[in-house]
Amino acid sequence: MSTTEKEEEIVVVKGKRKSPLRAFLDFYNTHDLARPLLPFIAILIAAISISPEYFLAPTNLKVLLYQTSPIALLALGEALTIIMGSIDLTPGSVAGFAALFTGLITLNSGNVPYAIALTLLVTTAIGALNGFLVARLKIYSFIVTLAGLEIWRAVDLSITGGSPIYGLYQYGFLMQDFHTFIPLVFIITLIVYVVFLFILMRTTWGRIIYAIGSNEEAVHLSGTHASLAKFLAFTVAGFLYGVAGIMLIATSAYIVDPWTAYGYELYAIAAAVIGGIALTGGTGHPIGPLLGAFVLTILTNILIIMGYTQYTIQEIIIGIILIAAAPALTRGLRWVK
Amino acid sequence: MQHMNEQNFLLIAEGITKIFPGVVALDNVSFDLKPGEIHGLLGQNGAGKSTLLKILYGYYAPDKGRIIIKGNEVKLKTPRDARNHGISFSTQEVTLLPHLTVLENIMLLGSYWNKEFSYFNKEKILDYVLELIKEYGIEINPNEKVRYLGTANKMIVQVLASLSMNADIFLFDEPTSPLSPYEVEKIFNLINMLKSKGKGVVFVTHRVDEALKICDRITVLRNGKKIGTVDAHKTNEEELIEMMLGTQIHEFYFVKEGKEMKEITKIETPLIELRGIYSIPTKPTEVPLRNVNLRIYENEVVAVFGIIGAGKTELGKLLIGITKMARGDIYYKGKKIKIKSPAHALSKYGIFYLTEDRRAEGIIPLLSVLANMSISAFKNVSLGGILINAFKERELGTRFVKELNIKAPSLYVRASNLSGGNQQKVLLARALMTSAKLLIIDEPTVGIDIGTKIEIRRIIREISSKTGISVLVLTSDLDEALGIGERVYFMHNGTIVSEYTNNNPDEIRRKIISDFSNIVKK
Repeated sequence: MSTTEKEEEIVVVKGKRKSPLRAFLDFYNTHDLARPLLPFIAILIAAISISPEYFLAPTNLKVLLYQTSPIALLALGEALTIIMGSIDLTPGSVAGFAALFTGLITLNSGNVPYAIALTLLVTTAIGALNGFLVARLKIYSFIVTLAGLEIWRAVDLSITGGSPIYGLYQYGFLMQDFHTFIPLVFIITLIVYVVFLFILMRTTWGRIIYAIGSNEEAVHLSGTHASLAKFLAFTVAGFLYGVAGIMLIATSAYIVDPWTAYGYELYAIAAAVIGGIALTGGTGHPIGPLLGAFVLTILTNILIIMGYTQYTIQEIIIGIILIAAAPALTRGLRWVK
Repeated sequence: MQHMNEQNFLLIAEGITKIFPGVVALDNVSFDLKPGEIHGLLGQNGAGKSTLLKILYGYYAPDKGRIIIKGNEVKLKTPRDARNHGISFSTQEVTLLPHLTVLENIMLLGSYWNKEFSYFNKEKILDYVLELIKEYGIEINPNEKVRYLGTANKMIVQVLASLSMNADIFLFDEPTSPLSPYEVEKIFNLINMLKSKGKGVVFVTHRVDEALKICDRITVLRNGKKIGTVDAHKTNEEELIEMMLGTQIHEFYFVKEGKEMKEITKIETPLIELRGIYSIPTKPTEVPLRNVNLRIYENEVVAVFGIIGAGKTELGKLLIGITKMARGDIYYKGKKIKIKSPAHALSKYGIFYLTEDRRAEGIIPLLSVLANMSISAFKNVSLGGILINAFKERELGTRFVKELNIKAPSLYVRASNLSGGNQQKVLLARALMTSAKLLIIDEPTVGIDIGTKIEIRRIIREISSKTGISVLVLTSDLDEALGIGERVYFMHNGTIVSEYTNNNPDEIRRKIISDFSNIVKK
């Protein structure tokens, strides 16, 4: 069959007046940052109107920022892979492993910079391993990272034998707030996001990542190093999970146990998807995952304010949001394509 | 055309017109089918055969025209409507459930249409199916699971199921292309059997020999237009090939007569030379290359002409390291080379391949028009291949939009918003931005309206004369090959049949058509 018969392009019609709703929907669908901004603003308004005196209190805002930071970084790493049309199920396990590994090295050596550097090196290598299996050996990312999800959690358990590590107070500097309500972890997160905004928008690597998610075969045939870009994306994601893992030591009261960051891959995926990173690949704004992470933490915050403190209810609500967000995103996309 | 007696025809399609965005797929095409007749639809890729078939099966609604089935005018809105009027469609991708048996598949398909079947009374239906099998002289075990059957047998099961739905018009879309010669024989026997039972068969093909072998009448389509209907017993290969490829020159020749043609000399070293190339297919649809010898000189436009299945795409992809080579050598400026990947081909030897399949392998739909152009040319629009130089990128992009006359609302809209012809121009811009030494352009104008077609051919000629790069055009359009190629190769069945210096297009057209007929006659 010829190409002709498959063509069903949308022809751009100029000069036709659109209805306001249509114009808004078009804008919403074609501007990548508009997508996560809407739920973000909605949840912010909801939180403020439910309990302004509690929600806007500086202590609460600080809690919000330090809870958001590690999730936002996990979501950014996840976004790199989702934009390519792949998926990464390892953020939770790798971040947990990073936290534990840092803790152990710190206990043994007492040298914090050394522990941090070594941990980042190791998690980057873990990411590189994922990347090698996916990009070079062409194994589905879902399978590779599902294996990673199990393996790195199992490594945690076998190293510690199940018992937690206490008193990693050396990592208190991450909570330093310079007499505002903004902790250092969030400043780091913001810097990372600015760097990645630049990388994804202005470098050839970023361009190729988006291109792979849209049409991988075309990128390969176009004579670019598609596999290398894919490998690098997984590698960099591993690095980001490492940073998030180290942050988790500070944000979870200086205690690390083998179950640290358990199930965080779901938060990472949820934050990315709510952040407008479509699971079909190829689109999404780099800042999106940060907004997505905020939506998740503010939601948890609201639930706590309203008195629902059970972990299970929070999980269920996140699940429901994911279900609501994912099909809306994919359908919206098909419509713009 | 008024039919004397519409009752005598199983099917009449009158003045069918179908327009897709940017291209007229069918232009006022009429077609009819009598009981006990095999009517062939012959044409090249993009001629409109499949579109016509899909209109007859209710996939597409025609923009203009009427369809008359057994004397009644009908509107076919869905394939279900077509089924209700006794039309059956056999595709290459067989639509059966692989884990059920032949009998179960027939039962399931038939249950929609045949009340008897809906009770799933196995024994009763088995008797019925066995009778059908006997009547049509088929060797199939009804209790065999479908996934163990060969492709031909799967098609036969499809036909059996259609027969159980009382179908009497059978549409076959290129049924033979995935089959071995033995299997082709099987399908032909079945089709002849259908004919002898008074059913009507529409047989779509691009193979002249098959059309002549099995059809009673043959309708030839080209570029969405009906060229004519001929009696298969009163025609010959030459006539059909001429109808299929076009006998008159309506289109421009950019290679001017009288221009001094580069004579093939042994003194000049070719930019690229292929010697005795054999390839191993990695997919069942791939055509193996057999003993391909080809030369491309610097600053030259070479055209390779061949119909689908000639192996043109495999040849093109060989030069970017995708087609797997079994034997033979590639020489670059006289030196033997090995090409590993598209990236290697582009960076080391300056070879760039532009795909025939815009949608699947060319356009990156979610990226902007500008990003689609520059993706292969990062070394020209970035600092050290890492930082994109947005100003330079935009400057180059704007230049190519002007030069190639690309119609886009802006450089930053998604490429998916453009029409097919403009997408093809964007891909051409991508190729030009790379500053490659050899561009391989696979089917530059398939599925594009005639105006843009000629524009693109002109651009390809200009590329070569202005920038001095070499272009290898792979095409199934003889006019195109003769219109832009300084030398023309004729390729068939994975091998190069003949090579001509294009100093007299009319004469070379005749020569190629006679080469083609000779092959088909064999």
